[in-house]
Amino acid sequence: MLKTTITILAVFTIAFIIFAVYDGITAKRRKEVYRTKSTITAYLMLLPAVNLAFMFVMLPILYSLGYAFTDYYLLKPNEINIVWFENFKDFFSELATKGTLYHAIKNTLIFVVGVVPLQIGLALLLSLFVNRPGIGSKIFKVCFFAPVVISLSVTSFLWLQILAPGENGLLNSLLGLFGIAPHDWLRDPRTAMPCIIVLSAWQGCGYQMLIFLSGLSNIRKELYEAASLDGANRLRKFKLVTWPGLRSTFVYIIITVFIGACRILTQPMLMTGYQDHTVTLSYYMYQQGYTFRWVGYSSAVALIMTIFIGGITLIQRRMFREKK
Amino acid sequence: MKKLLVSILTIMLALFMAFGMTACGDTGSDDTDKDGNTIVKIMFHVDKSSTEGQAYQKRLNAFNAAYKDQKIKAQGVFKARTAGASGYETELLNNQIEGTLADIVTFDAPNTAAYAKSGLLYDISSLISQEDQAKFYSLNKYEGKLYGLPIQESSAGFYYNKRIFAAAGINVSGYTAENPWNFEQFKAVCAQLKAHGTTAVDMRIDAVKDETAPYLLYSFIYAAGGSFTDSTGYTANGYYNSAATARGFQFIKDLISAGYTSYEIGATDFFTGKVGMYLSSGWTIPDLDNKYKQYFASREDWGLLPYPKDEIAASATGSWSYAITNNHHTDKTAIVELLKWMTSSESSKAITDATGMIPARKDVNNNYAAGTPEYTLLKQLELSGRERPVTVAYPTFSTTFNQVISGLGTSDVNTLLATATNTLQLEMNKLQNLHG
Repeated sequence: MLKTTITILAVFTIAFIIFAVYDGITAKRRKEVYRTKSTITAYLMLLPAVNLAFMFVMLPILYSLGYAFTDYYLLKPNEINIVWFENFKDFFSELATKGTLYHAIKNTLIFVVGVVPLQIGLALLLSLFVNRPGIGSKIFKVCFFAPVVISLSVTSFLWLQILAPGENGLLNSLLGLFGIAPHDWLRDPRTAMPCIIVLSAWQGCGYQMLIFLSGLSNIRKELYEAASLDGANRLRKFKLVTWPGLRSTFVYIIITVFIGACRILTQPMLMTGYQDHTVTLSYYMYQQGYTFRWVGYSSAVALIMTIFIGGITLIQRRMFREKK
Repeated sequence: MKKLLVSILTIMLALFMAFGMTACGDTGSDDTDKDGNTIVKIMFHVDKSSTEGQAYQKRLNAFNAAYKDQKIKAQGVFKARTAGASGYETELLNNQIEGTLADIVTFDAPNTAAYAKSGLLYDISSLISQEDQAKFYSLNKYEGKLYGLPIQESSAGFYYNKRIFAAAGINVSGYTAENPWNFEQFKAVCAQLKAHGTTAVDMRIDAVKDETAPYLLYSFIYAAGGSFTDSTGYTANGYYNSAATARGFQFIKDLISAGYTSYEIGATDFFTGKVGMYLSSGWTIPDLDNKYKQYFASREDWGLLPYPKDEIAASATGSWSYAITNNHHTDKTAIVELLKWMTSSESSKAITDATGMIPARKDVNNNYAAGTPEYTLLKQLELSGRERPVTVAYPTFSTTFNQVISGLGTSDVNTLLATATNTLQLEMNKLQNLHG
């Protein structure tokens, strides 16, 4: 496999060099002296980055795409057979049994439906809150952004302490002050996913807050002044000036948050383990590929997931496209 | 300036290409060193600087000194399990894919079937004599063939707080490995502890994210007369969902329902005197001896009870083992020498002295005094040790077992077992088709 990878990489590099030389020659024929030199420099500078991107991004995608149509089992790497659409058939057969795959899809949908509006709503509120001059807003910006720079593993363990069952859990001890009995938040199927949604939105909203802030800074102040002269209150200013000004930012954020939400893996893996009430599609895919060793089937699940996410993203783009 | 930049980038490109070529170079050229020694590589699952890693290295050094004249040299490769057992397995499988498998590898015993079936492990049945095989408490066998020898053995039991037991008026001195208590007696002790106002037992039912719960709890099902698969390891239906298996799980569920145990017990609650009993393996002995002196000043403050029996007595066993791999080395003579050395009485003693586990060999003299925790674990291993199910679908078994344990608090046992059996059987069918 290593040799195959190196061969593919070498072929790609040679193809890239041939393309660069061809481009350079055509530039020379047209006697574009400056362009010839700058073209060579540009290609040489591009080569390491392009090679790395090809090796670590494109190549795994290509491998995964190919594996989706094989019976690749991790313990039999030298006996890979093409099975065409068998893995996809297995996917839908398992879905019909309403087993773990069914729960994984259901939980992923619940997570997406819960986290996308919550995270974006929180990010928008926070950005409006800190979008004013003064040292206080800078402190708040840092505070709200802090969870983003902490790794997901760390925040998951932090929330495990907060949501710990029994009287020792931080949340339970707080609720105990009001006479509320302790609850096993992560084992109870009714509360586990909502807890994961809340912690994910808390962890991620700081990043979207910064993007919203950059969007807010692009809205001209004159528009607010004009709105004030027309007697608009804060709500109307938001509706008629801020929101239209943030439209393109909002579209970008909704698409990226949606894609991120569809790929949720770390939180359920670290907080509950492989349980039907919290398993997600990415976790199912990971478990099938690494733990159960079905790389071919896992790749097929990845392909289905990619098609699903790609489809929804296209619909989103179409829905939010501005009418001319 | 531009010329300089172009030159630098050209050199970088050349280096990059050279690095790539080196990476794809021949990986099998290290069979002998410059002095003509045959190199035998052995891969361990622990860090070299750990106590266990140091013990392995010392044994390798001793081997190299002893086999200097025979021109055999052992080289240890240490790949710590930073991401758990599956992380080490990923490393192992990557080596298999790349064709860089070490001659001997360590592996977790439940993987014997899957690794043997896939051809990763070398059949050593004819290389280890029957006489030598009989010296081990357990062997890594699959379909009648020997694929590995254990590094060390493990057994588990119920650690108990003697002060809490005395305060609750509980006397358990009659329950020994030779004469274990039964399920009803176990429940009676739990009831007394609960009446005393103490959480009775930490059954580790919250440890469902890895192999902890399956390892500690599977033997309850065997004790109740149940099982998980047939002898081929390809049929779960009729075994995993049998009435006897359900009875074993029901026993654990009853403990939860009666409030004797729960998912909410903290990881250190037993060690800080809040829980009466704690189910764990031999590795807890050093913790109790050294880490919690303020709660357990000496061994007078704690003891170890065996697993309770029901239809039969059964207890947890199984640890990591050595196996020879099916790598590019066809001549296994030198490799077998190293395997025999690493599983010798001396190595077994040296390694278990470092880890605190039970030696894998019966001929290692332990001199454990009767009644000590170590004696209880060893005797229990000899008398009632049962290995985890031998099946190529072990990872799925382990996952479904964890799901059943996790669901016991809220769901009916038979419903949970029906789902688990269905999942495991589907996986077994897939694997049977794959293996033909």
